[in-house]
Amino acid sequence: MTEISVERNLLDEDARIAAENREKFRRARVYALNLMSGPGAGKTTLLESTIERLRGRIRLAVIAGDIETRRDADRLARRGAPVVQINTRGDCHLDARRIAGALKEMNLAALDMVIVENVGNLVCPAEFDLGEHDKAMILSVAEGHDKPAKYPLMFREARAMVVNKIDLLPYTNFDVEAAVADARTLNPNLEVFRLSARTGDGLDGWLTWLDARLRSVRA
Amino acid sequence: MHELALAQRTVELMTQTATANGGGRIVSARLLLGELSCVQPETLAFAFDAASRGTCAEGCRLDIVRIPAKLRCLACGAVRGGDLLEMCPGCGRVGCDVLEGRELRLESVDLEEDTCPKAGGKP
Repeated sequence: MTEISVERNLLDEDARIAAENREKFRRARVYALNLMSGPGAGKTTLLESTIERLRGRIRLAVIAGDIETRRDADRLARRGAPVVQINTRGDCHLDARRIAGALKEMNLAALDMVIVENVGNLVCPAEFDLGEHDKAMILSVAEGHDKPAKYPLMFREARAMVVNKIDLLPYTNFDVEAAVADARTLNPNLEVFRLSARTGDGLDGWLTWLDARLRSVRA
Repeated sequence: MHELALAQRTVELMTQTATANGGGRIVSARLLLGELSCVQPETLAFAFDAASRGTCAEGCRLDIVRIPAKLRCLACGAVRGGDLLEMCPGCGRVGCDVLEGRELRLESVDLEEDTCPKAGGKP
């Protein structure tokens, strides 16, 4: 029997494929964002509003990850954006290999931006590099302001956090300041946007940020 | 539940290692698992048993070594363990860099040569 030193990260192969995806985005000058949140925080609704508001200015496509169904893809396609649906059949997250598969179905040359709607989950997606430029996450005020403390990894990995459903604040005991303070303790440079994807209130800051991020990868 | 995905990655690395070393059966392995990674060791071990079936790693004893968090205070640079949101015992500030504790790493395997005809096969 021989002891063999391996010294490899379990996600080495994922990192290699993520690097290939990143290179594809870079060559096509496409900005790629990985949007993550728990189930029901409003990823699809935020994307619907985002597609509507960017239409005619920024050519946006969505890669929609779900365990089952095409519901999100159908909702987003109705807003006029090209959508590739990935059903993970049980996996709780998207990985770089699945994104590479989705990219084969997309014409990046005809796009400015790709947003990946990850599987609804506050834990697992944070571990997986997809080859995106940035990760963003949504925390909705219906979820509780202790989430940054309970799920620190995702808040550390994100470049931006959307506090969604602020129209519901009168009906919850969600403490926005406490949630933002905890999130910024975990991640001092975190950009924060308070908005309601449903009413459109506060959406401008988010859209301006997306614009700026797109410009930064094209600079 | 991304433990199954990680167990599959572990088996892939083991299969590659066995093949690169002339084939054989992986009888035991050391896996480093940081405390700050969102992975349950028991679930990973269970998933590994399922994922390794029919491969050269079937029946492998998986020694999962937990790596404690090692954090560096952003304000004063003191290095400590503990929780990401805890105050620094030195300066009382919160906020830190993670130096260790996010490991998901196959450190080493013990290979028994040439006893497994399927060695090198796809998991």
